[in-house]
Amino acid sequence: MNDNSDVLKAAGLRKNYRKDKAAVDGVSFAFSRGEFVGLLGPNGAGKTTTIKMLTGLIKPSSGVIHYYGRDFHNESQMTKGLIGVVPQQNNLDRDLTAYENLCLHAILYGIPKDARRERIYEYLEFSGLTDYANRQVKTFSGGTMRRLVILRALLHEPKILFLDEPTVGLDPHIRRIIWDFIIKINRTKNTTILLTTHYIEEAERLCKRVMIINDGRIIVDGDPETLKDGIGHFVLEVYKDDKIEEEFFNTRDEALLALKDSTYPCKVRAVTLEDVFLGLAGRRINV
Amino acid sequence: MFNGICGVLYRELLIYRNRALKQMLTSSLSPLLFLIAFGWGFGRDVTVGGISYISFLIPGLITMNSLTQSFAISGEINISRFYFHTFDEYLIAPVSHAGIVIGEAAFGVFRGILATFIIFIYAFVFDASLSFNPFFLVAIVLHTFIFSALAVTTSMVVKDHSGQALINNFAITPMIFLCGTFYPIDKLPYAFKLLVSVFPLTYSTKVIRATLTGAEVNIVYVALMMFYCIIFFLTSLWALRKVEA
Ligand SMILES: Nc1ncnc2c1ncn2[C@@H]1O[C@H](COP(=O)(O)OP(=O)(O)OP(=O)(O)O)[C@@H](O)[C@H]1O
Ligand SMILES: [Mg+2]
Repeated sequence: MNDNSDVLKAAGLRKNYRKDKAAVDGVSFAFSRGEFVGLLGPNGAGKTTTIKMLTGLIKPSSGVIHYYGRDFHNESQMTKGLIGVVPQQNNLDRDLTAYENLCLHAILYGIPKDARRERIYEYLEFSGLTDYANRQVKTFSGGTMRRLVILRALLHEPKILFLDEPTVGLDPHIRRIIWDFIIKINRTKNTTILLTTHYIEEAERLCKRVMIINDGRIIVDGDPETLKDGIGHFVLEVYKDDKIEEEFFNTRDEALLALKDSTYPCKVRAVTLEDVFLGLAGRRINV
Repeated sequence: MFNGICGVLYRELLIYRNRALKQMLTSSLSPLLFLIAFGWGFGRDVTVGGISYISFLIPGLITMNSLTQSFAISGEINISRFYFHTFDEYLIAPVSHAGIVIGEAAFGVFRGILATFIIFIYAFVFDASLSFNPFFLVAIVLHTFIFSALAVTTSMVVKDHSGQALINNFAITPMIFLCGTFYPIDKLPYAFKLLVSVFPLTYSTKVIRATLTGAEVNIVYVALMMFYCIIFFLTSLWALRKVEA
């Protein structure tokens, strides 16, 4: 395996569920080792469809996928071992214990029998779930289930991890625990990560690179800082009677100057990725 | 392929472990009712083709009960596909489709064979005179494999749970009533005889009944059973590939 080649390279991926409409309409990208990428987009943009194509759950209508230079379609059994997947919906066996769920995964991924137990406990430890090993999954809270799904995806030590909305439906506290967990995976194991989300804060906190997808097309691809620089560094929010208006400025002083002139209540703050997203939304995203 | 078979069997057996008793109880009731209604209801002296009706009926109930239990895996695959999405774990794993199909089918065979034991107990209670040809073991494996593979196929083809219910109603139930499980098919009108001659259950019933009543096993029927095994194995692979389309 050539470690210098891209971990993942996708070219011209397209998926038509129906003839007249492409859910994903020709997306291309390449990830290198250890990269942490966010795929951001509104509901129905095509995030899950993209992940499903990249992980072999559905076949692309056209386009090619390579992992480490190997064709995903032609060498699917070999390449599938390089991938870890956290689907949008938890798909654990609720009647089985955490350990049994993990053991099933270990068998499917060919982890040798004598190494299974040790590996499972090593990862339970890594994710702080050791106490849950022998409890039935249906007794778990949402956050614990989510952590178990992520841990399961790591068990065979994949080179790339796909996380489809890992923190949706979780409270802010648990969400931060999951974030720390994901960062730890990326740092300590140098695992390449593709995470989808529509929480902009999540992408901003975690991702070194952000791709924004809308209506099946990637409309922006870059690191969050550069994207933010593109629209200015400071925002003046003007609270008018019926709406909040935003003006963008390159320096704080310019913003403050404008604030002085305004007769409405105002607030100056730093630009966030959300502004980038909404700026695009105003022009191009049809939510 | 081996990882796939082992993984699927590991999961199915773990889940079955908790439900085994309930499912065995469920599957033991309807054959008992058939035995009471047809066996005792018709009276003890009714004979079919030279053997007592009870002895004729018992092998039929064995095929029926094992078929029902083997085919029941389709419902569970449906649940794992449509409700809990646990089936996706198999699809994203580095295992072959053949491994998944064989794993599921092996579990169906196992369930089907378990369901025959209760009928043997009934045979004893109802005092049916059976003879036992060891070829029965081969026949029951072929028979349960046919319907397990058919179950895998249909559970991959349907788009939701109600589609599965439709298939059960329009394919499985008629088969059970028409293919000679409860009466010899040579009494059927010609059109129906033609119809049942394409149903695999017709042949497994004949072979299994022959192995339990001391009749000669027709090798052509055994060949046909193997033929259906291969066909439904192939349709399973085809249907599984279509799931990813
Ligand atoms: N199995 C399917 N059959 C037909 N259309 C589908 C199917 N799955 C998704 N779609 C459509 O494809 C488009 C993209 O859906 P997708 O699930 O990829 O979006 P998403 O970005 O993941 O959205 P969300 O944020 O809601 O999860 C949507 O318009 C959706 O309705
Ligand atoms: Mg989605």
